[in-house]
Amino acid sequence: AETTWNVSLWGKRRAFTEHVEKLAELVSEKTNGEMKLNISYGGLSKNKENLDGISIGAFEMAQFCAGYHRDKNPSITVLELPFLGVSSLEEERKVSQVIYAHPAVQKDLSRWNATLLMPSPLPQYNLVGVGDAPKTLADYKGLTVRATGGIGKAMAAVNAVPTSMSATEVRQALDGGVVKAVAFAPHAHMSFGTVESGKWWTTNLNPGTVNCPVVANTDALAALSEANRNALLGSIDESLDYYISTYNGKTMDAWGPTLTSKGIESISYGADELAAFKEAVAGPAAAAWIADNTAKGLPAQELYDLLTGMIGK
Amino acid sequence: MASNSSVLVDKSLLSKLDQSLHKIESLFALISGLAVFSLMMLAVISVTGRHSINQPLPGYVDWIEQAMPLIAFMGIAYTQRNGGHIRMDILVSFLKGRSLWAVEFITVLFMLLVMILIIWGSWAHFARSFDFSAPMWSRDSSMDIAIPLWPAKILAPVAFSLLAVRLTLQLISFGKAFAYNETRPMAVPLVESAAAQAAKEASTVSG
Amino acid sequence: MEPIEIGIAVSIGLLIFVILGMRVAFAAAIAGVVGLIWIFWAKKGYTGDSFLWALTVASKTAGQVPHSKVSSQALSLIPTFILIGYLAYYAGLTKALFVAAKKWVAWLPGGLAVSTVFATAGFAAVSGASVATSAVFARIAIPEMLAIGYDKRFAAGVVAAGGTLASLIPPSAILVIYAIIVEQDVGMLLLAGFVPGAFSALIYGLLIVCLALSFKDFGPPVSGFTWRERFASLPPAMPIFAVVAIIILFVYNPFGGDAWGTPTEGGAIGAFIVFCMALYRGMRWAQLKDALIETAKLAVMIFTIIWGVLIYVRFLGFADLPAAFSDWITSLDQSPMLTLVFILLAYAILGMFMDAIGMLLLTLPITYPAVMALNGGEYVTAADSAFGMSGPMAGIWFGILVVKMAEFCLITPPIGLNCFVVAGVRDDLSVQDVFKGVTPFFIADAFTIAGLIAFPSIVLWLPSLAS
Ligand code: NA
Ligand code: NA
Repeated sequence: AETTWNVSLWGKRRAFTEHVEKLAELVSEKTNGEMKLNISYGGLSKNKENLDGISIGAFEMAQFCAGYHRDKNPSITVLELPFLGVSSLEEERKVSQVIYAHPAVQKDLSRWNATLLMPSPLPQYNLVGVGDAPKTLADYKGLTVRATGGIGKAMAAVNAVPTSMSATEVRQALDGGVVKAVAFAPHAHMSFGTVESGKWWTTNLNPGTVNCPVVANTDALAALSEANRNALLGSIDESLDYYISTYNGKTMDAWGPTLTSKGIESISYGADELAAFKEAVAGPAAAAWIADNTAKGLPAQELYDLLTGMIGK
Repeated sequence: MASNSSVLVDKSLLSKLDQSLHKIESLFALISGLAVFSLMMLAVISVTGRHSINQPLPGYVDWIEQAMPLIAFMGIAYTQRNGGHIRMDILVSFLKGRSLWAVEFITVLFMLLVMILIIWGSWAHFARSFDFSAPMWSRDSSMDIAIPLWPAKILAPVAFSLLAVRLTLQLISFGKAFAYNETRPMAVPLVESAAAQAAKEASTVSG
Repeated sequence: MEPIEIGIAVSIGLLIFVILGMRVAFAAAIAGVVGLIWIFWAKKGYTGDSFLWALTVASKTAGQVPHSKVSSQALSLIPTFILIGYLAYYAGLTKALFVAAKKWVAWLPGGLAVSTVFATAGFAAVSGASVATSAVFARIAIPEMLAIGYDKRFAAGVVAAGGTLASLIPPSAILVIYAIIVEQDVGMLLLAGFVPGAFSALIYGLLIVCLALSFKDFGPPVSGFTWRERFASLPPAMPIFAVVAIIILFVYNPFGGDAWGTPTEGGAIGAFIVFCMALYRGMRWAQLKDALIETAKLAVMIFTIIWGVLIYVRFLGFADLPAAFSDWITSLDQSPMLTLVFILLAYAILGMFMDAIGMLLLTLPITYPAVMALNGGEYVTAADSAFGMSGPMAGIWFGILVVKMAEFCLITPPIGLNCFVVAGVRDDLSVQDVFKGVTPFFIADAFTIAGLIAFPSIVLWLPSLAS
């Protein structure tokens, strides 16, 4: 290949990385092998330092999650606010792309010499847990739950006890009862093995999710030939379509049977319960986010309004 | 591996510099030891909290991650001063006099060069996380409770700079030993046999 | 040059630096930085301008590694485990253990040597570092063995070999390092170390009894302790069992209830108990300060190797060398078990010349993926695998094998750290003496390793119970 881009992902190939794999395939096809995306799972950087690597120019493309380091990318953390009410991967994709296109967001990421290419839409987090299932909000009192960042705050708001530990210790902590519940997206519940010992899961708590964009090094993007750049940028929609259909297909299709085969009880909350939860959490979290990020010089209110205005439309 | 080595001291300028530097290095090493101690206490607080009042230390992992650079970096120059960084000394143990000082000089020189590059790189790593205009000067924060990361990140270039000073001092001493064909240079860790030899010589001189 | 060729060239350079006596941590860092510069420069076509760019990008990439890699919760176990060992010394646990072991097993043929092995195994349960264990017991056990007529070389060999057990029996800094490098569950690895460690101690004990039965005037049994004396010797050694119990309970509660916490917390609570014990036994600020500085010194030595090697590993990632090596290993036309044995033999040879931690850090990024690929991949099921165990279990099993190899390298000449330490503590012993005395234990270690390969359940029994 004439042009090789190194792409820094982490973990292993999974539903969460299929859009990048697809993008590599499409780019190679469209350029007749002239441009190649060389995907590395963890070999080039630690996931929390992927933005640093982009900024340095060590690799040309990377994926990261906004919640790993709020101060690095305050603008996109708006997408991680609790109880936004995003209901599908398609909607998550749409709102992410609109927010990514906002000039203030692009300026925020340009500090890292990064250009936002596409989101990695994830479904809402939900809890898998052991012991007595929390059937009402009041049952959350004292529940030890592994939840970080915004979802941790949401848990604290209903008097649960957010407990911090690295994702690799989660399985054992749940097995051992150090925490009684874990908040993850379905694919992570499966890959971190919480479904092995879990007894119940919340189907519709939907407290929020994480936002994990794929970015390119701005200079490298500018240095591409016209043909290569068109091949890259022109393949993004198709890659995302593919990602969503695989996630909805493979992961979500496997999720139900996994729950059934492991004998995990599904807990659903009534509308009143959810409304009460949302009221306790969403408003204060949004207000705090707007205040913090206005102080950082972002048009926080505008971003928040832009986002909430799109939801459900 | 050379863990048994000793550093000679006298009243020369080089040795005085070495001893002053060693005071700073010892302080840094003690800070590192105290950080280990605080790690232990952190766990005691978190576990006690969880078992007694069902309230673990918020952001426990974040705090551990903040303490780790203190432990990992602060003692680096102290360890170099005392020859504590392990190496394969099977070859150098056969060398004597000028050939030994030449090999030591060259390896220390390369160490200094790479440390200069790493100081530059780790400073840049710190600088990316630091922003005078941001709240708490922070442009990078921990995952759970969003503690600013710059104080932990600056420890690397600070500790490495002290190491660079130490390496410079060792470079001078080895260079001097090579130039004047010394048998017992000051301010550098000597492989035990050489040190023992030196001690023996000293005792014969003093009668 | 292709990235893989650059990878091989730089790796050879690293070996030369290490042989020349460059401190291992920095030799690895240099190899990593030079390799990164080379690879970035090659990518931009070797021009003058692009060299400056490559130098900048390489330095900044390398400069991230120290902070990024040491800021890890799992790595915090290393300093805590080291601290436990030093505090245990001030808590009087070493002496107490030796006395208890003597009263209980010294009646065996070669009894005092057997006692020494069991006492070092017991101390291993609070000490995370092999070298420290040998150093402590060289002061306590060797004089007693000499007093009743043991060969001084053999007495030294017992202590040098017994000390290695501290790496297999948790807490163990080396097991943690393995877990970090290969991204395996630290708790599971620590659990997995117990039984093979005890197995290893048992083999050492058997070997000594056999030697004592075969050779006259070997070392007389020591008898005449009453049961009352035996039981009286136990309470002072009790904190050891408290620490063992705490570490187990924090990883896995055998009584079926909740585990008490995570392994990282367990390590720290274990240290705290020994700390209280040492305070009770009269440790004051001066001793605590010594323990803290000694801990810091050893910890910084290990951490410097860790980040130095990880800079090299980062470069290997850009050069794609580990993937190439595991492709090559899996393409070999021979049984996977034979390949595994060759890899372990390579460790035995490398271990003659290298320090244990440095050796593991340098090689695991390449050998681990290769062994996992040999078994059929990281997510293979036991039924489809080459070694008859699932991917995660193979990771644990290989870890214990490799750590046992690392223990072995602590007593093999010409660079056997434990032997140097024992010779260093005892003025009347040369390094050659200790190497001579430790030779019988090579046979014991060969048996242990063969046993662990032939019966993986020795390793996997406890972790499979817990999972
Ligand atoms: Na141990
Ligand atoms: Na050796």
